[in-house]
Amino acid sequence: MKAFIYAETAPQMSALCGCARAYADAVEAVAIGDELKDAALADKVFHIATQAGVMVEDYTETIADLIANEQPDFVFIETTRRNKLIAGRIAALLGTSVMTDVIELAENGTAKHLVYGGAATRTEKATGPVAIYLLGSDVLPNHDAQGANEIVEVPFITPVSQVKCRSVAKKEKSAVNLSASQTVVGIGRGIAKEDDLVMIRAFADAIEGEVGCTRPIAEEEKWLPREVYIGVSGVMLAPEVYVAIGLSGQVQHTVGINRAKTIIAINKEASAPIFKQADYGIVGDLYKVIPALTEAFGK
Amino acid sequence: MNVVACVKVVPDDQDLTVSPDYTLDFDRARPSISTYDLNAVEEGVRLVEDNGGSLKVLTVGDSSIDDSKLKKNILSRGADDLLMVADEDMKAMDAHQTACALKAALAKIDSYDLILCGDGSADLYAQQVGAQLGQLLGIPVINCVSKITVENGAVIAERTLEHEVEILEIPMPAVISVTSDINLPRIAGMKQILAAGKKPAVVLRATDLEYAALATIEVLETLAPKETDRKHIIIEGDSDEAIAAFIANVAKVI
Ligand SMILES: Cc1cc2nc3c(=O)[nH]c(=O)nc-3n(C[C@H](O)[C@H](O)[C@H](O)COP(=O)(O)OP(=O)(O)OC[C@H]3O[C@@H](n4cnc5c(N)ncnc54)[C@H](O)[C@@H]3O)c2cc1C
Repeated sequence: MKAFIYAETAPQMSALCGCARAYADAVEAVAIGDELKDAALADKVFHIATQAGVMVEDYTETIADLIANEQPDFVFIETTRRNKLIAGRIAALLGTSVMTDVIELAENGTAKHLVYGGAATRTEKATGPVAIYLLGSDVLPNHDAQGANEIVEVPFITPVSQVKCRSVAKKEKSAVNLSASQTVVGIGRGIAKEDDLVMIRAFADAIEGEVGCTRPIAEEEKWLPREVYIGVSGVMLAPEVYVAIGLSGQVQHTVGINRAKTIIAINKEASAPIFKQADYGIVGDLYKVIPALTEAFGK
Repeated sequence: MNVVACVKVVPDDQDLTVSPDYTLDFDRARPSISTYDLNAVEEGVRLVEDNGGSLKVLTVGDSSIDDSKLKKNILSRGADDLLMVADEDMKAMDAHQTACALKAALAKIDSYDLILCGDGSADLYAQQVGAQLGQLLGIPVINCVSKITVENGAVIAERTLEHEVEILEIPMPAVISVTSDINLPRIAGMKQILAAGKKPAVVLRATDLEYAALATIEVLETLAPKETDRKHIIIEGDSDEAIAAFIANVAKVI
């Protein structure tokens, strides 16, 4: 079996090369530029020299061409937003589909991913000659990374499409790392206005937790950064304690917290689905309950 | 400019139920417009309002999507007309098949400048169809676009990635997948719903198209996870006593 790796970041380049050994005896990587080339740990590394004035997407044809020539059984591509596009284009060129957001990969290549907003897990396999996966090394069993790293220089294939990048602005990094936090407070649309976040932060501080939210709080209200919305299309967590405040508990959100050890829910509607998943709950107005909690636990 | 918004019809997930054997039961799930495709439609409406032209909605799927209520619902969102391909041979297509079907359907359309897709479908959320479609058509394709303006016949797009925001210049025709926060889709009023019934809706079958894509992915099973056992100790009401009881409960864990 032969695996082929394409990653956008150096840590994932190394990690995916290592993990791939559990699935294939031959591991090859394609690296754009020197940093990724140096990060690769494969038998063979196909190096494409960085081209001036092109986007990463412009290497798609070159990568697809390599895959067509090398005929790997598995292609592992690091999950990133950019790679969602690049992988899809590669698949179109090769006449197949990508298995995206893989959460588990069996040795025979069948992959699992969440469907229906997390209401179910689907197991699937590629029926064509090559199986392409978008994944991160965290879902794969660890394996010692090794390889002779034989470098093969590959000429750049100039693409037909001409998207021009006028500018790139770095986004401010949000300081919060929800995944590392043992106590997470999650807020939803039950919060009436942005100013009320002060009350929520006071409560989170009292219980030494970090604040996350549902998708609408980040995407529609934009009160919190996108990086802290929890759920199938946001971050997936497994804290000791999750406190759900004024959020209904739709499956797209709760798949992101159902591995929490304890779930506590505060919602004014007894029928809110979040109570079905809660260990402890109170049917009441969060504006009455939260200050009382802050008072009780702040001491 | 002529805009085509691609829309997927999915079973309404509010009506999904889990059977005792953990399979999903779709019997009561009505066909509905995939949530994030509404952002593609809304962006199309907005672009046509600002730049002139027309907006067509394109959807492909199995025969159940040929539903008059659904067609009216789609057309009430501001598009000028609808092209639907509904055929049992197009049931549960994978991303590659869907993109091939959309390409074949687009061949029936006179001209287009911009094809818009949503961020991902509400059922599978693979976020792949836009990427495949652009490649199959051999035209520029970009995902994660959070703002669109038109300048000298090109699209200027703001693209939001994990750590950076790009400003891109995309020549038309192009395929663009928009994020779910690019706009707030308007809610159709009575007037729009009534007008929708009079808008042209063309429904084709697979045999009307040049489409013959085989499945590239085999689905082995789709199962709901086993529920985690929870304590379900819920206090009703927010009187001082109720809150005190709740605090006593949660003090065990926080
Ligand atoms: C493809 C797809 C992917 C998605 N991915 C995600 C995802 O990753 N993460 C995510 O979160 N969502 C996601 N969603 C959206 C999801 O379906 C829900 O719409 C969203 O989670 C609901 O957010 P909410 O609970 O904040 O709002 P609502 O559902 O509006 O709930 C608000 C709750 O607040 C309660 N409330 C109101 N006032 C008070 C008060 N004073 N005191 C106490 N309670 C009060 C109400 O009873 C209600 O239950 C996705 C949707 C789709 C279609």
